Parts: sequence; C-alpha cells; structure tokens
Amino acid sequence: MNDYKKMNYYEVLEVPVNASFFEIRHAYKEALSVYGEDSLSTYSLFSEAERETLLKKIEEAFQTLMDEKKRSDYNNQLVKNGEADPDDLFRDYNKNSIPIFLAHNAVDKNSFFKKVKKKVGESSIQKLSREILETELIAGQDLKKLRQAIGIELEDIFEVARISISILKAIENDDFQNLPSLIYLRNFLKLYAEILHLDPEKVADSYIINISLLQK
Amino acid sequence: MSCIYPIGGGKGGIGKSFIAANLGVLLAKQGNQVVLVDLDLGGANLHTFTGMTNVKTGMEAFLDKSVKNLKEVVVPTNIHNLSIISSVNCSMEIANLSAAQKNKVINALVKLPYEYVLLDLGAGTNYNTLDFFLSSYEGIIALTPEPTSVENAFKFIKALYFRKVKQVLGQNDFKLYSQQVEMNSNALEVTSQVIDTVLEKDPEKGEILLQELQKFKFKFIINQFRKTVGTKLGEKIEKVCNKHFYSEFQFLGNVCYDERVHDSIFSKNIFVNKYSYSVSAIDLSHIVIKLQGNRESSSPHTLGRYERL
Repeated sequence: MNDYKKMNYYEVLEVPVNASFFEIRHAYKEALSVYGEDSLSTYSLFSEAERETLLKKIEEAFQTLMDEKKRSDYNNQLVKNGEADPDDLFRDYNKNSIPIFLAHNAVDKNSFFKKVKKKVGESSIQKLSREILETELIAGQDLKKLRQAIGIELEDIFEVARISISILKAIENDDFQNLPSLIYLRNFLKLYAEILHLDPEKVADSYIINISLLQK
Repeated sequence: MSCIYPIGGGKGGIGKSFIAANLGVLLAKQGNQVVLVDLDLGGANLHTFTGMTNVKTGMEAFLDKSVKNLKEVVVPTNIHNLSIISSVNCSMEIANLSAAQKNKVINALVKLPYEYVLLDLGAGTNYNTLDFFLSSYEGIIALTPEPTSVENAFKFIKALYFRKVKQVLGQNDFKLYSQQVEMNSNALEVTSQVIDTVLEKDPEKGEILLQELQKFKFKFIINQFRKTVGTKLGEKIEKVCNKHFYSEFQFLGNVCYDERVHDSIFSKNIFVNKYSYSVSAIDLSHIVIKLQGNRESSSPHTLGRYERL
C-alpha cells in the first residue's frame, strides 16, 4: 500500500493546489463515495483502522481547504516545506462558479470579436472586403477566402452564431442542394457577413442572386 | 512476440471462462492467431464454451510426457484462427501440479507460436493459479459488481503481491521481515507492511522490489454489470488501486448482464457469435479495442519469470 499518511491535503482530495471551493467540495463528495464504509469500490480493501484513518484525513483535508484562513496557513506551510510551488499556490484560485456547458472548448465571445475587429482593420483585409463588396455576385468562395484571411475557423462561427458547420460548409461551397430554405439562408448569410464585418444586406442579396443563377 | 493474458479473479462463477472464450473469438475474428489455454485443471470447461464436446488431446498429454512440445496438444476449434489447449482429460489429481510441472507449463506457454495466448485460470488463490497469473505482466482480473466478488478480487491482488514479494525477496528474507511485522496485523496487511519495512530497512532491496511491482499493468473487467450499481464503479476501483498499490491498474470496461449468456452456453454457442449485436457483445468488443490500444503503445511483453531465469 502506498503511504497515505505522507500525502498532503490536495493529494488526498486529488485536486490542484489552486482548486476552487466548488472543485474541493466536489472532490470531497467523490472521496467519500469511494472510501465510505458502504462503498462497493473499496469493499474489504482496507482494515477498519485503515479506513478510519483515511476518512479522518479526508475530513481534515476538506475542513482545512474549505476555510480561507486555514487554507492559506496550510499553503504557507507547504511552501515552507518545499512541497508546493508558490507560483502555483498563489495563482488566484477560481472563486467564480464554473459553467457547466462548454467548459472546455467555449470560445470567449468578447475576445473573439475583439480579435476579428483588430484583424479587419489591417489594410490587406480591408482591400479584400472592398473587392468582395464591389463584385456584383458574391460566391461562397469569396466569403471563405475572407474568413481564412482573417483567421476565423468554422467552429468559431458555430460557437458565436450557432450556425451548424454543415450549413456553413454548404454556403462556402455554393452547394445549393444542402442549403436551408431561403428564409433561413438569408438570416445565416447576414450573421456570417456581420462576423466578417461586411454589409449584411448586400452580402445576402448578392449571394442569393448568385446561387439562384447557379441553380438554373 | 505473443501477448499473454491470464484471466483470473479469485471468485468462482464470475465469468472468467466466458470472458476468455469471447475475447478469444473477437481477437481471432480480426485475423489474429489465438490460442485459449484452460488452466483450471480441476474444473476445466473452456472447451464447452467453444462448443466442443469431444476433445482428443490436451494438457494431460503434455504433463504425462507423451508429447514433448506443448504446441502438439493445440486443437483447432470451429472458429477460424482460434485454437484451444483443453485440460478436460486431465486426471482427477492433476489439479495439484508440482512446482516442476508448473514451471514446465509456464516455460512452454511463452514459446507458443501464437499472437495471443489467453489463459483461463481457476478460482481461488492457490500457488499454481497465482504463478500462472504472474507469468505475464498484463493479467486481467474479472469481477462482478457484488461485495463478495470485489472482496475476492482485492484478496487476489493482495495474494499476487504476497507471492511476488516472496519471490523477489527469497524465502529467508521474507520470513525475516514478516516476523518483524506479524505481531499485530492480520494476514492481508502483512504484505504491505513487509514492503514498508523492506523500504525502510534495506532501501536498495526495497527499490528492486518496487521496480518489480511497478512492471505489472493489471487490467480488470466488470462482468454481469447492472446499471443499478452506479456506472462509475470501474473508474473508482481503478483510481483507488492506482493510488494504493504500487502497480498500474487499468479498467477495461463493463460487460452488461445479459440473460442470453445462459442460452448461448446451453446451446454451446459462443455468445459473441450468436448475439453479436447485443449490448454485452459490443461491450466485449470495446474491451478488445482497449486491449489492443495498449499493445500498440507499450513495449512488447516479457515474462517476469522467464526474464529472471
């Protein structure tokens, strides 16, 4: 058996040293469900005395880490003993609640729009958008070219505008068989154009004329 | 180099033979040369799982020296690429192999010219079972989601440790160290305390011991799984074992409980062939994928015992 007594409170609960209270509470519940007396997953693995020690340690860990004062004292002690890196410890732990959805791959909308705005300001991009708007008929290829020049992924557009990737691909490829009905298409085109900082009405009109010509 | 997967688990009736037979079929279906070896010498019935009623030759011929090479007692099954070494014809007393016979079998198993060698072990934790299990670093432990089975699985792991520690330390040292700790602990705690004591008193030897134990990559499968026990049981056991034992543990997956397993045994059909689209059969195929994933990423197997000889 690995020595449980040597583990620090963070290792006991298996959380990072800058874990939020939310994470600690969750980890505590998880630990109880594993080490609790009626847990199937550790049935008979530990003697009664061992289990008691384990549960006591888990309880201690929880009580210490959930108390701001006690936790910072404990952290200081860890640093003093060289068991923790102060950089990790004093990195602000997340006190806010954690969003349940898209926790991993959410696009931060604000920073995304800021990034696009900055990029669109560049002269090469402005020239490209001007060229596109000046043409009478706008094809999917033009939009794709501009999008790629700005450095936006289809996934980013999906995240901020909720237009499915397959529809975005159909738009860019002028694949009229897979395009949605006109009323939706118009709306999607406007949203797409807005992200690229193009005139939404103009893009929607020209694109739809182009696609209807292609269809014939 | 062949992959040897012993399948054990301490308790009887948890599906060791079922898992061995069905994993064997799935691996064979992919075009691998697979041999199933029934090492439950006193209670052999792996042949029944594969639908064979009359097995002409098997382990007994190798043990009584009527054939020299274990290869010669391999019998093909009805399934393409799948063969079996049965021990149905072994005599009533054969379950108690001598140490020499056991070593002879283990050494012969390593040399079998097959891509996968699956060893179906008996219940319990007698020395033969443990040594067969320890013949590979990647043994598979089967259990069912019941306290009795979980208990026996842990007991099995501890018995493996006990056996391994004894092997590495040698009889004398083990006695010496276990005398120091035996005062106030039950039999199960001895192993962990012996390891602790060795680490403390003789760090060099302790290091060797740890290295030996760390070579093991035990795997386990939860058979006859029912949703009511909580879907995370396997993950939890994996985590706990990795935290408290010195070896690596990997949870390969659950195999759902299915009434039709009994039907397939009655009709002497292999389950994954007869009900290939059932949930349990798909569970088994996921397990095979996970096993093979390991094989690609890790270095080829070497047998612990064989390496030391």
